[in-house]
Amino acid sequence: MGKRYRNASYPHQNECDIVRRSRYLFWGFLPAGILIVLFFITPAIWGVYSSMTNMALVGKAARHLQFIGFQNYLKLITDSAFFTAIMNSVKYVVGGAIIGQFLLGLGLALLLEYTEKKGIKGGNVVYGFVMLAWLTPALVSGFEWGAMYDYYYGTLNNILKLLGLSKINWLGKTPMLAVIIANIWQGTAFSMMVFDSALKTIPVELYEAAKMDGASHWQSIRYITLPLIKNIAIIDLINITMVTFGVFLMIMAITNGGPGMKTTTLSLYAYRAAFENYRIGYGCSIAMVLLAINLIFGFTYLKVLKKIS
Amino acid sequence: MFVRSKWVVVCLIALVMILSIGIVINGAKKITIRVWYPDELGIKPKYVDQAAAAFRKDFPNVNLEIRRFKMPPRDFKTKLLLALGSGEGPDVIHFSGGSNIAEFADAGYIVPLDKYVNSWPDWSQYPDAVKGGVTYEGHVYAIPYGLDMRWLYYNKNIFRAVGLPVPWQPKSWNDIINAAIVIKERAPDKIPFALYAGVAGSGGTLAHAFLPLFYGAGGKLYDSKTGKWIVDSPAYRKTLEFYREVFLKYKLSPQEVMTLPKPWTTMRRKIGTGELGILYEGGWVYGGYIHNLGLEKARETVGYAMMPSEHGKFFFTIGGSGTVWYVCSQSKHPELAWEYIKRFNSKEIVAHINIEDPHPVARMDSASLPEFQAQKYLVDCTNALKYAKFPPLQPELTKVTYRIQLLTSRVASGELTIDDAMKKYISEMKSDLGADKVEIVK
Repeated sequence: MGKRYRNASYPHQNECDIVRRSRYLFWGFLPAGILIVLFFITPAIWGVYSSMTNMALVGKAARHLQFIGFQNYLKLITDSAFFTAIMNSVKYVVGGAIIGQFLLGLGLALLLEYTEKKGIKGGNVVYGFVMLAWLTPALVSGFEWGAMYDYYYGTLNNILKLLGLSKINWLGKTPMLAVIIANIWQGTAFSMMVFDSALKTIPVELYEAAKMDGASHWQSIRYITLPLIKNIAIIDLINITMVTFGVFLMIMAITNGGPGMKTTTLSLYAYRAAFENYRIGYGCSIAMVLLAINLIFGFTYLKVLKKIS
Repeated sequence: MFVRSKWVVVCLIALVMILSIGIVINGAKKITIRVWYPDELGIKPKYVDQAAAAFRKDFPNVNLEIRRFKMPPRDFKTKLLLALGSGEGPDVIHFSGGSNIAEFADAGYIVPLDKYVNSWPDWSQYPDAVKGGVTYEGHVYAIPYGLDMRWLYYNKNIFRAVGLPVPWQPKSWNDIINAAIVIKERAPDKIPFALYAGVAGSGGTLAHAFLPLFYGAGGKLYDSKTGKWIVDSPAYRKTLEFYREVFLKYKLSPQEVMTLPKPWTTMRRKIGTGELGILYEGGWVYGGYIHNLGLEKARETVGYAMMPSEHGKFFFTIGGSGTVWYVCSQSKHPELAWEYIKRFNSKEIVAHINIEDPHPVARMDSASLPEFQAQKYLVDCTNALKYAKFPPLQPELTKVTYRIQLLTSRVASGELTIDDAMKKYISEMKSDLGADKVEIVK
């Protein structure tokens, strides 16, 4: 046994403790680390590699795999459908995630908190209903919304008919709005849940002190609630942005990316390139651009957080 | 020492015995031939099983494993390609022909069948045009049994109710538009016309909508002399103008054809139920009407006509080699795989499956059977094939189809003008195929 040295900062901790703790940490993190390497890092590396090949499931390229460098990326620059898909993705994320899910989730969480404080019943029921939407699989939700929007037999148009109003071609006239609403409906629960948890961590004493100082309800939200949940808000934004960028099943079920290219997002375009046109390499290059856009959004959020902190 | 050596010898003998048993079992293992086929309607299993029974009778020691995939062809294709790409494909593939033949052959997924067909007497029953439809770069790669053709379907009840003639044979594109306008005006609760557009229409956007118009306007998609794809010509503009009129000017076709997950399922049904006036669709769709309505009622309800050219100078249909059989290159026993295909493509099975799932037969002796001749609809289909025009059987057709889907939907949805949509199409085609692989015809 070697000589033990006392740590000045942590009098009960010595080198052996540190080594032991490190070992525990290593073995503790190992299973998760293996899973991350297997299911996240390896596919990502494979994706980067594939995006630089002519990998395909049909044609001569299926037989002769070639490394083609940045050719797929250069093709993307001349592919106007790709730029339409980028714009659609940005619209979908800004409308569905940033404006819709985020603000509505925050609003619902504040409302639930308010009703709880005031002793108004029914908050849990609302919470449950919002959660139900989140728990419904994306494809099922997509078909449900497709049935709602259907021009001939859809629920919305049947309601309009009962009210004596004429039918609206929801998916023909306002397809992006239609898929954004469906996305907000499904995704809001997550933000609501995150903000609800964050609000519960704020000590009640702060609000009581503010009230004693004469702060209004809005001022309490503005000067106590929002500053204290901003870190959580950024984490929520990063998460919902990345998830919404990746959504394609729901859009596929509601509009199939149409009419025209009006609701074809980057993820749907990547799917089509890889699994409908069987150009895996090209599909991977679109996915890599999607990853880059996600990173840009993520870094921007973190920068904003740093600035406002 | 002696005891230890004894145990070593015993262990070695045991090991040798285990290995020998394994080798014997493995050696006695039957050869397996795997057959994969997609089928949503449930018509094919009976015939696949008939061929399987004949095969098993002749090859009792071969294990024939048949797998039906109850899914749309597009999903089956993805599944199949992923299996083939990972080396897990079957021995026998059943899938649509056309451009798939070139794509599969180029990828090395399928083997040429020349040596098999050359020693198969029945091959003489297949007309040269049919053989040509499954030949790629001088080799026969697939065996067809039922051919594809398309009709301009119309609902006779709607036509009678709005005062349109029955039977109906439009003489030009204007006749189609005018008939749809009459339906719209006199029966506002009906959908006048459904014209597939966009990615949602899948292969139907090309074969059931774009090509019947494009060829009718004198268009040519691929120049076999130069080996280039034609990406702009007057026929493109005329076709897109037809789309614009139908979707935007007169609002005759619903935008839903571009947003429904499977618009063909909905629109085919609507023709039969009397909710849709006019639809260009596959000849086989009539089988669904016979199945749902009965032969007599189907005749009374659903009419079919040939597609006219723009100004009625000629009438035609879009043809195709239909669903075909391939021998997979991954098969360890291609000769046995071929034996299964041979038994499926017998005179009787080919006749009966095409009576039940209406298609013109690929082999002529099947058409001569009295039960086939008794079906007026099938005789009409077979006759229409004389006037068939075909999509180019080039491996790039999948890419081109996708770009045409985008082109049609950009115009039909009003997203772009015809000129702007064409500019994008030309640029995308150059990007996808290479600038040296496309040409413009003034």
